[in-house]
Amino acid sequence: MVKATTGTAQIHAEGEYAPLLDVWSDRYRQEGWHYLLEAIFGDQLPHTPELLIDFQWKLGMAVSSDSCRSLKYPYVAVMLKVADHSGQVKNKSFEMTIPQFQNFYRQFKEIAAIIETV
Amino acid sequence: MAGELESCKPLSGLLSGLAQDAFYGHPGITEELLRSQLYPDVPIEEFRPFQAKMRGILKSIASADMDFNQLEAFLTAQTKKQGGITSDQAAVISKFWKSHKTKIRESLMNQSRWDSGLRGLSWRVDGKSQSRHSAEIHTPVAIMELEIGKSGQESEFLCLEFDEIKVNQVLKKLSEVEESISTLMQPV
Repeated sequence: MVKATTGTAQIHAEGEYAPLLDVWSDRYRQEGWHYLLEAIFGDQLPHTPELLIDFQWKLGMAVSSDSCRSLKYPYVAVMLKVADHSGQVKNKSFEMTIPQFQNFYRQFKEIAAIIETV
Repeated sequence: MAGELESCKPLSGLLSGLAQDAFYGHPGITEELLRSQLYPDVPIEEFRPFQAKMRGILKSIASADMDFNQLEAFLTAQTKKQGGITSDQAAVISKFWKSHKTKIRESLMNQSRWDSGLRGLSWRVDGKSQSRHSAEIHTPVAIMELEIGKSGQESEFLCLEFDEIKVNQVLKKLSEVEESISTLMQPV
């Protein structure tokens, strides 16, 4: 049985879970609730926000492909460098169509306007 | 049985089925399924070359992303060919392409995108306060969740935190993209 109380950050384990909790409790003491909750809830846990270190972009034009000789569509490719809470850095890339990019830009402008006033 | 094949009623359905298979990657659209649903009285040996011809025409139109002038010229040429199509059939194909062109094109674009696409975006702004050892400090942060994923695969969620400085840095980059788009892109 595992009982975790928020606020006081105490964990009581009984029976077969006790040794397991010793491992967890060291990690959680060092790195926060994240690991414990992840162990219990797995993928359902909302992700701990990562920090954006770098943002690179590329404006491309797909001209032709084997399934379509006349593609002719522009796209924005983005490469994000993000760091998680343990300091590990990863690259994440994705593409947007032009309308998607416009929406992305518009949302960022909204965020900027709001964050200024908070 | 040629009369059956020339009938235009099921042709629209056939083109839909062919598009599902060729462009949208819908599984299970077999030749036999199409025949039995749309041309039940036509033997398979006759149906096979017929559907192959229609599939070829549809693929040519989609591959060239034909505008309506090109489409008309192309279909007229097909009606004049030996073993081509009737003008009624040309009309059905033309109507089909006009109503499905955008969707088919989008599907082809997705097929040629091998990196992840942006599927969703949500965000909130928090007034973050730190109170453990120091006096309460309010530092607003934006939390953004990006849903990205490759064609046909499950989404990956990227959760990012930005302070005001970072938001403005990214905004500056986005305005550079916007500028590139308007100066470099000719109307397509």
